[in-house]
Amino acid sequence: MSSNDKMIRTKDLTFLEKIYLPEIVKGLFLTVRQMFKPKVTVQYPEERFEPPAQFRGRPVLVHENGVERCVACGLCSRVCPALAIEVQAAETPLDKERYPEKFEINMIRCIFCGFCEEVCPEEAIIMSNEYLLVFQSQEEAVFGKDKLLKSAEEMRPRLEFLRDHR
Amino acid sequence: MAVQTDELPRKSRILQALEDQNTSVQFDDALESEMVLNMGPQHPATHGVLRLLLKLDGETVTGCVPELGYLHRGYEKLAENCTYYEFIPHTDRLDYLSPLSNNVAYVLAVEKLIGMEAPPRAQYLRTLISELARISSHLLWLGSLAMDVGALTVFMWSFREREKMYDVFEHLVGARFTTSFTRIGGLAHDLLPDAEKMVRDFMKQFPEQLAECEKLLNRNRIFVERCDGIGLITAEQAIDLGLTGPSLRACGISHDLRKAQPYLIYNDLDFDVPVYEGGDTLARYYVRMGEIKQSISLVNQIMDRLPSGPIHAHEPKKVLPRKERVYTKMEELIHDFMIVNFGENPPVGEVYQAVEAPKGELGFYLNSDGKGYPWRLKIRSPSFTNLQSLPMLIQGAMISDVVAIIGSIDPVMGEADK
Ligand code: SF4
Ligand code: SF4
Repeated sequence: MSSNDKMIRTKDLTFLEKIYLPEIVKGLFLTVRQMFKPKVTVQYPEERFEPPAQFRGRPVLVHENGVERCVACGLCSRVCPALAIEVQAAETPLDKERYPEKFEINMIRCIFCGFCEEVCPEEAIIMSNEYLLVFQSQEEAVFGKDKLLKSAEEMRPRLEFLRDHR
Repeated sequence: MAVQTDELPRKSRILQALEDQNTSVQFDDALESEMVLNMGPQHPATHGVLRLLLKLDGETVTGCVPELGYLHRGYEKLAENCTYYEFIPHTDRLDYLSPLSNNVAYVLAVEKLIGMEAPPRAQYLRTLISELARISSHLLWLGSLAMDVGALTVFMWSFREREKMYDVFEHLVGARFTTSFTRIGGLAHDLLPDAEKMVRDFMKQFPEQLAECEKLLNRNRIFVERCDGIGLITAEQAIDLGLTGPSLRACGISHDLRKAQPYLIYNDLDFDVPVYEGGDTLARYYVRMGEIKQSISLVNQIMDRLPSGPIHAHEPKKVLPRKERVYTKMEELIHDFMIVNFGENPPVGEVYQAVEAPKGELGFYLNSDGKGYPWRLKIRSPSFTNLQSLPMLIQGAMISDVVAIIGSIDPVMGEADK
């Protein structure tokens, strides 16, 4: 790699460059050429971008046959830097003994950092690939269990990524 | 008309500061048409929420007082109530144009405090992301400087390249903007094969695109004339003000922390530090363009030499355990809970760790009293220090050059205000 390019100051410009017209033509040649190159823009509402498995979309709770994996240990709500998660534990006759009676994530607060996923000892909360979030009121932005639960089947790409790379 | 501030019941402090400033530029003007102009905090060319109070004599700026703090979120205080681990996402939001280098700088500081080191592969990947962040930050700077002086095409092109970089980041770290990628003792996850391919593909096509941008600017009379000799600062003044980064190297001083106090693996890599004389906007342009080229070569070197191995240090009480062990082993589960709830508890002491961020020397000072939370965290942000030079750079310039000068020192208010 060469070190420093020569700095071109006003005094170094040639006469032709000072006239500027030939330079305009050269510049236009460069810009017009762009018209024949492939487009880089995405026609957004029609074309959607498909995130890869490592993409951190909104956090969701994983359930298996309708039973959430979460044991309401509260670790995710402890680590959440944005204080977005609220968990309330209750007892259940199932093997896991505890389950979250109430599990809410305030999607206005969430910063999509993925820390909840990283600390969860049950692989119960993971980052999905959903990035389109629209709310019309603050209440609507607080996602309860109804909106958060996703089946493990649906979340397979992310679960596989977590298994192989975390 | 001069501003009749004496009649006002209370002079605002910033106006007072402007009036007290020694202005060395004096023009004879029979009309005494001196005026005070507010620029910002919502001006498209001040790159964020920077407010400048300018004293004008006709079109010439005779004095300038920058006002900061519009984006102050109190991160240094916030850090005292976060465990070391919890603070990582906050570092994204300092210099939000190169979040990856902030992530790296912060975890390096914490690791120094704890007294451990990440394994070689993590060190390589951290260097890789720092250099990618440098390219992406300089690309944004290139686009905005070009736009400030009127070259819109370059802005479009550099943003197109940045968009490609963000696609790379998406595959590399899992987020486009707020990366939160580094962890104490390692990284969030390893480099995936598809990300590796994307980095290589990007690096293959990028030099050509950069050369096209250069073709539009280097010999463009308008661009050169608008940058040549604008925003002058001498080497002594730059050192006095604590300028770092490309702005310092544009004064002919070869000071780059990657060479001066090598961290990560910069010692093993082969690169030059671009240095130019002149101390004006044009020199700063050349320094940054040179740095982008050096970063390309650095990324290529790293990709060729990437060692295999783990990316997490084996320190059960300091580094979050791997997931499969948390699910199966009691001990690791307890460590997971302990680290999250009570933090890393580094030994009592203080450290300062600085890295060469795209904007200059980014340092984190940490003071620990042995608990899970830092007793004090201080961020030495390059944008804040570099902004000090603004009154000196702007004085005597024309008002239309002010935007080019602000653009040339590349301030990011998220970092300057913290
Ligand atoms: S989601 Fe995981 S971390 Fe959060 S309460 Fe449930 S089990 Fe604990
Ligand atoms: S992604 Fe981060 S901010 Fe969002 S809920 Fe999880 S821990 Fe909290």
